[in-house]
Amino acid sequence: MKAFANMHPAVSMLYFLSVLLVCMFIPHPVLQAEALLGGALFCAALQKRGAALRDLGFYLPLFLMVAVVNPLFSHNGVTPLFFLNENPVTLEALLYGVSLAVMVIGVLLWCKAYNEIMTSDKFLYLFGKLIPKLSLVLSMALRFIPTYLRQSRRVSRAQKAMGLYAGKSITDRVKNRMRVLAAMISWSLENAMETSASMKARGYGKKGRTNFSLFRFRASDGVLLAICICLLAVPLIGAAVGITDFMYYPRVGVIQTTPAAIAVYAAFGTLSVLPFILEVKEAIVWNYSVSKI
Amino acid sequence: MELFRVENLSFRYPKAERDALQEINLSVQNGEFIVLCGASGCGKTTLLRLLKKELAPVGEKTGRILYAGAPQEALTNAGEIGFVQQNPESQIVTDKVWHELAFGLENMGLPTETIRRRVGEMASFFGMQGWFRQKTDALSGGQKQLLNLASVMVMQPKLLILDEPTGQLDPIAAADFIATLQKINRELGLTILLAEHRLEEVFPIADRVLVLENGRILLDDEPRKIGLRLSKLHCDHPIMLHALPGAVRIWQGLHIDDTCPLTVREGREFLERHFENRAETLPEPEVPRIGETAVELKNVWFRYEKDAPDVLRGVSAKVYRGEIFCMLGGNGVGKTTALNVLAGLDKPYRGKVLVGGKPIKDYKGGTLYRRGLALLPQNPETVFVKDTVRADLAEILEVMEIPRSEHAAQIEKIAEKLGIVHLLDRHPFDISGGEQQKSALAKVLLSEPKILLLDEPTKGIDAFAKSNLREILRKLKRDGMTIVLVTHDVEFAAETADRCAFVFDGEILSADPPQKFFAENSFYTTAANRMARGLWKNAVTCEQVIEGCRTTGGQL
Repeated sequence: MKAFANMHPAVSMLYFLSVLLVCMFIPHPVLQAEALLGGALFCAALQKRGAALRDLGFYLPLFLMVAVVNPLFSHNGVTPLFFLNENPVTLEALLYGVSLAVMVIGVLLWCKAYNEIMTSDKFLYLFGKLIPKLSLVLSMALRFIPTYLRQSRRVSRAQKAMGLYAGKSITDRVKNRMRVLAAMISWSLENAMETSASMKARGYGKKGRTNFSLFRFRASDGVLLAICICLLAVPLIGAAVGITDFMYYPRVGVIQTTPAAIAVYAAFGTLSVLPFILEVKEAIVWNYSVSKI
Repeated sequence: MELFRVENLSFRYPKAERDALQEINLSVQNGEFIVLCGASGCGKTTLLRLLKKELAPVGEKTGRILYAGAPQEALTNAGEIGFVQQNPESQIVTDKVWHELAFGLENMGLPTETIRRRVGEMASFFGMQGWFRQKTDALSGGQKQLLNLASVMVMQPKLLILDEPTGQLDPIAAADFIATLQKINRELGLTILLAEHRLEEVFPIADRVLVLENGRILLDDEPRKIGLRLSKLHCDHPIMLHALPGAVRIWQGLHIDDTCPLTVREGREFLERHFENRAETLPEPEVPRIGETAVELKNVWFRYEKDAPDVLRGVSAKVYRGEIFCMLGGNGVGKTTALNVLAGLDKPYRGKVLVGGKPIKDYKGGTLYRRGLALLPQNPETVFVKDTVRADLAEILEVMEIPRSEHAAQIEKIAEKLGIVHLLDRHPFDISGGEQQKSALAKVLLSEPKILLLDEPTKGIDAFAKSNLREILRKLKRDGMTIVLVTHDVEFAAETADRCAFVFDGEILSADPPQKFFAENSFYTTAANRMARGLWKNAVTCEQVIEGCRTTGGQL
């Protein structure tokens, strides 16, 4: 399941932002349901079957909890269903709770997919363009941390094997930590000298440094980008002209079914299931090409 | 065409008493492979760094350095002279292999498409496809050094300068690295200037050898003539005694009028030409009397994680009191792990470790390590935690509860024994690898161990420091210490150990005195043994071969 992950980071980033934006800021039941559906399908496609089922065990209780909590605490609305401790539990509050739960779970699922797709190097690539030094600094930090940890482990083992503060008492342990830390500071400085020599030797510090990355902007990225923009534009326009306005209080509103409204639902629906469609298409193409071999 | 020209170059570090380099004259032709050798501290690194202007040390410089006919300062493209340092770890700048390859090209401001092509080209030349997208941290030492070389090569240099690049590598990775250098020189015609102290592999492939001594160029000649000229100068020159390839040393020792052999093959042919094949064995020294057992491993099993494969699979071994026991073997066979288990750093999940007849588990707190057992790790710099060698030594005396009034005398005594008196007030990170090794050993010895464990003690130190270490170990043995060492260095083991053991696949296979041990191996043995096998199966060191030729060899 690699189709969407192989897209250019800028396209993926724009895609995630647009889905999350609509899902969070246009509180319309159809759009939220579509976002939830798309998120669930995408996450299921990204994971192995077992993991997706296990996720269900986490999201279902969360869904019920969020849905139930709202009507217990909010008593707005005009249609009481029953009374709990002399407080009315209303239909409107219940429905609002359900819509809130749909939104929360939808956002969570999309964030999970985001984490899976937007790995640190893609993030670095995108924001390295804005601040060129940042991406190098972060890359160097990512290099330095494991090296430092390994060396500090070596030092404390070496100290232990000489019998220096090898005891289990707290004073021994604290003393040992302090000594190792002191040694690691000198080591880091020494190491940094050699690293900077290696950087200078390769011409670091001249003007006009470029940023290289392995990502390519392919024609398919362009197509996907255009589709995303078009599909995003429809619900945004819809929201601007009031098609997606929806009220829960005091009385639940009506879901519009005008042709314009249907177009908005269809556009956003397509947008949210787009990655899933891509993954399925990829799987079919793969199976087909395997069958030909 | 002349690429580099050094005229009357002298250099002095600030506040130094004497010149680090004196009157250096050197000319480097395009396409040459030049090897620079000399004891540590002879000025090799200073000379190499002066040739690379971005890395030139600060100090007083006289004389001229010309690059392609123009003063060195005129060169603006840093990529034209590539420089690789000794430590594979600290030269890597970024976290991913591909990014490291691209680093120099990014600095040159090249567009993405050009970088992509050059990086791809270099990665396939060096066979890096398999680990192109990996994290640099996950690479082995040999791969790291190859990456350092490739990320310099990607900038298309005209001259490659390498400062002891194989010092931190095991022999197999080192041989691979040297073979890659030879390929670069042959196939791309690139000029190479290489400082090395392991000459066995580089001597046969070099066009010229420069011998540096005390900041002067002592000799500058082709490899075959170096041996002869060195012995004419003075026959106890440290390089001549220990660093030259086995074939050259045997040739020198025999004083026979013939061309100097460089490789094992040439050495064997040379011996066969001049000595009769009697297939006798040399007399072996008496096997030392077997004393009490000092440490013992009994059917030890170990793995690092629950689901990881076993690193040790039923290791059993006995080390006797007062012997030097040496564990040999390739990479990742479990040598170091076995040593760590002996040192009590790693706990086996099955089997027993006995130290002085007592299970290692029964030593509580620091009792195992005080006046008991001590480990000198592979990286001697991990031993130091203070700002001077003296402070580090004092620290361990403190822990040993020795009264403060005796500290100075004790430190003086150990420093004299190991020859590090002049280093006591230096920062441990400012001294050379061999000096670090000795200082670390001093610190370890102050805990008065009865059993000393050493992990790869010859890594990164030159031939002179090696023979120095050998003397120290022999002296310690005479004082009754038991020494266990783990090494890749076949030559060192042959000359130092009382018994050698071969470790493979998590087991210790055999343990024999070196002459018997190496006589039974046909690949995993010393260069001298490979040359003289046809004459004396159990001649293991160069000295033994020379001795054999003189006494029982029938000269033709």
